[in-house]
Amino acid sequence: MTSVAAWIESTSLSRFIINRSWTWPTLESLHFLGLCVLIGAVLIMDLRLIGFQREIPFRAVHKLMPFALLGFTVNLLTGVMFVFGEPQLYLDNPAFRIKMSLIVLAGLNFVLYYYKVDPLLTRLGPDSPPPPLAKGVGAASLIFWFGVLAYGRLLPYFG
Amino acid sequence: MGTLISIEQSAFAEWVRVSAVGYPLMITSHAIGMGVMVGLTLAFCVRLLGWWQEISYSALNRFWGIAWAGFGLNFVSGTALFTTQATSYVESVPFLLKLALIFVGVVTAALLQAAVTRDADGWGSSAPAGIKALALVSVASWTCAVVSGRLIAYY
Repeated sequence: MTSVAAWIESTSLSRFIINRSWTWPTLESLHFLGLCVLIGAVLIMDLRLIGFQREIPFRAVHKLMPFALLGFTVNLLTGVMFVFGEPQLYLDNPAFRIKMSLIVLAGLNFVLYYYKVDPLLTRLGPDSPPPPLAKGVGAASLIFWFGVLAYGRLLPYFG
Repeated sequence: MGTLISIEQSAFAEWVRVSAVGYPLMITSHAIGMGVMVGLTLAFCVRLLGWWQEISYSALNRFWGIAWAGFGLNFVSGTALFTTQATSYVESVPFLLKLALIFVGVVTAALLQAAVTRDADGWGSSAPAGIKALALVSVASWTCAVVSGRLIAYY
């Protein structure tokens, strides 16, 4: 990983991020706001999948997806900037690796939701109990995303 | 100042500051509670501003229990973090600003929750202008509270 870190440090983007006083607090603020947007949307969608608030139509919860994707995109972009600013802090950090693995798992879980769970749900009427697969996918999503949040915050303690 | 110094020197503050578990536990809890409270409040305000009309106000209103649990977690973890550096926090401009913004955020969130519980049945597809304005104030204060929280470490 050291050669990757060395290459990152040689880029002008890396120097831009690290040499200015405003970049890091700005990126952190955006990353935290993106986190709130993502977690808020994920909580509502996943709790509905698990069976909480059954009066909300599944189709309607689906409308929160762009909100979740907005939060995720902001955090992906600002997250890449963090790695460019301080590659040594992240690339060899076990908490960072766990966090990235959890993001991959959350992504795979989303693919499962999109192709397997969502088609099941469109055939269900309002107030019908969610199928077991929907409950499992919803619970897994909550665990993965809250894990991403926790390991992100614990990152400095693993360095 | 005497009280703040004794808070800072308490055994609890010492535990949060130096133990392997204390600070990481509190700071992680603080991020989780923030995601829950601010995230759900933002989603709630977005609904009041006119998006996601298939979701009824009353269904979304029932997420407040979880949102306030997130806030409670942050009140407790935030107090624990405060004890570690009480004397410098009370002189930190971003910290004092954050507290004021959270106060506005909490009041507006409670007012919106009460208004939806009481009146939402009569709103039809669009909430009244006053409620939308209140939702915008809530979004702005929570957003600025998150940013000022981030800035505490820098100023």
